[in-house]
Amino acid sequence: MIEAEGLTKAYGDKTAVDGVSFTVQAGQVTGFLGPNGAGKSTTMRMIMGLDTPTAGTVTVNGVPFARHTAPLREIGALLDAKAVHTSRSAYNHLLAMAATHSIPRKRVHEVIDMTGLADVARKKVKGFSLGMGQRLGIAAALLGDPQTIILDEPVNGLDPEGVVWVRNLVKYLASEGRTVFLSSHLMSEMALTADHLIVIGRGKIIADAPIKDIITGKGQSRTRVRSDQPDRLMHVLAGTGVSVELQDHELLEVTGLDPRQIARSALDNHVLIYELTPLQASLEEAYMELTKDEVEYHSLITTGAPVPAQSGGN
Amino acid sequence: MSTSTSTQPAAGPGRAAHRNAANPGPGPSFFRVLNSEFIKFRTLLSTLILLVSTAIVVVGFGALSAWGTGQFADQASSDPEAAAAIAAQGGDLAVTVPTSGVAFAQLILGSLGVLLMSSEFTTGMARSTFAAVPKRLPAFIAKLVVVILSAFVVTAVSTYIAGLVAVPILDNFDLKLDLASSQSVKLLLVTSVYVAAVAAIGMALGTMLRNSAGGIMALVGLFFVAPIAFQLIPGDFFEEARKYLPGNTINPLTAVEHVPDTLEVWQAALVLGGWVVVPVVLAMVLLKKRDV
Repeated sequence: MIEAEGLTKAYGDKTAVDGVSFTVQAGQVTGFLGPNGAGKSTTMRMIMGLDTPTAGTVTVNGVPFARHTAPLREIGALLDAKAVHTSRSAYNHLLAMAATHSIPRKRVHEVIDMTGLADVARKKVKGFSLGMGQRLGIAAALLGDPQTIILDEPVNGLDPEGVVWVRNLVKYLASEGRTVFLSSHLMSEMALTADHLIVIGRGKIIADAPIKDIITGKGQSRTRVRSDQPDRLMHVLAGTGVSVELQDHELLEVTGLDPRQIARSALDNHVLIYELTPLQASLEEAYMELTKDEVEYHSLITTGAPVPAQSGGN
Repeated sequence: MSTSTSTQPAAGPGRAAHRNAANPGPGPSFFRVLNSEFIKFRTLLSTLILLVSTAIVVVGFGALSAWGTGQFADQASSDPEAAAAIAAQGGDLAVTVPTSGVAFAQLILGSLGVLLMSSEFTTGMARSTFAAVPKRLPAFIAKLVVVILSAFVVTAVSTYIAGLVAVPILDNFDLKLDLASSQSVKLLLVTSVYVAAVAAIGMALGTMLRNSAGGIMALVGLFFVAPIAFQLIPGDFFEEARKYLPGNTINPLTAVEHVPDTLEVWQAALVLGGWVVVPVVLAMVLLKKRDV
């Protein structure tokens, strides 16, 4: 179990992680989702004791990481593909890591086989593809057979087969009762892998809920309604926590009421409605909705607006 | 009554479930970390290249120096002025031949000291290292032990081989070199300790700067540029300060007799010790404090 309490990391006047509190439970895969620069990696480095929090605490199984007597046997982490001296072979890298905890050579071979690195284990890491580097990082994380596993963007650079492998691996590890904490900026991957989701944006926790709740968007459900009296229906439905948007002639989108409530109001007020469609948000939509104000780097979308004329061009 | 077994219903039949939480297994004791640092040391080709280069340079300079010394002694026998100059030095010329490559040994092994730590940071290896040893200082001390021991052993062994190569060359010029004499043994040991100290300073610089080029340049600046610069800048202060530069402690340490206007042996030893302890302690404080 990982518990963060008011965890904060500031670099100068820029706050990368801003007072986050969350709990990662054992026995399930917890996804850590957020756009680039949201503070995912910083949070994970603080869990591993590599970065010191500016404020707040984070513990693993009740104890700060650095105070564990055998850290690699408690928590395994892939923080960064190629957190490796690239002139060393994968085998020697794992052997040196294992030596710190008297982990037997047999286990080194085990994790090499488990991650499919047997053919390249004796080669220098320098020549590894991104996917192979990820596999080596996962092998290193599993070395101490830890109860808690932290993986930062594990599917980054993996081929489709590798993605499926990681997905099955983390589910299996969680089914064994381990704590699995997995970060990604790919919402589609999270939808398939995670049981619970913590969404972070600009250093703040935006959502922390079972993935089912986030997809159905509790309190965020939208319904498409068509009526021949849209103005009157808007007036009837208006209330606190309800937003009604006129999208087209006779087409409304209602947020904050479920279809049954909408139909009831329409019936009570004798308004004809001829379409009532609940809109289920995909995780992707839910995520975009959650993080739309929190994205640090907005893409500049060119919508065909005229480019300002350059005066005195060449 | 304890019902702790029922508090984890999600735990499956895997290994993790029936592990004793209080005793997860062996952790990073100092000797395990030392073993790990030694594995890291011997599994890098660049390390081996630098060690072999040191041996080649030391032995090569020993042989060249033996030949040059012989030539000089030959000329001296026919030139009373040169003979007088040799006599005035009061020492045995041949005895310093095996350690004549020390200036290069210190540069190479000092750079090795820098690289062994700076490469941890430039490659990202540091994240793996300090995740395994989150207290950090055991890993630093273990690496320091590996750096000091390897620099000492490589210098001592290659100096001895340089002596073995020099003996027959000097013999051609009727000069005697006894490698078992107390003077020879003292020179070999003091020089090796000195080079080990330079390597330790290098590692401290690598830890503080976390940058290979920066660390090596700082080392070169301290050992090669500063002594010359201090000599060129006029003024009593720089003339006096020059004696306290780490690279200028080797001469008083290896002198047969005390040369006027240089440090005493004990002073030189203290100065060199200070040049090791201060950067090493500073590096440890910074390593403990900074983010990896």
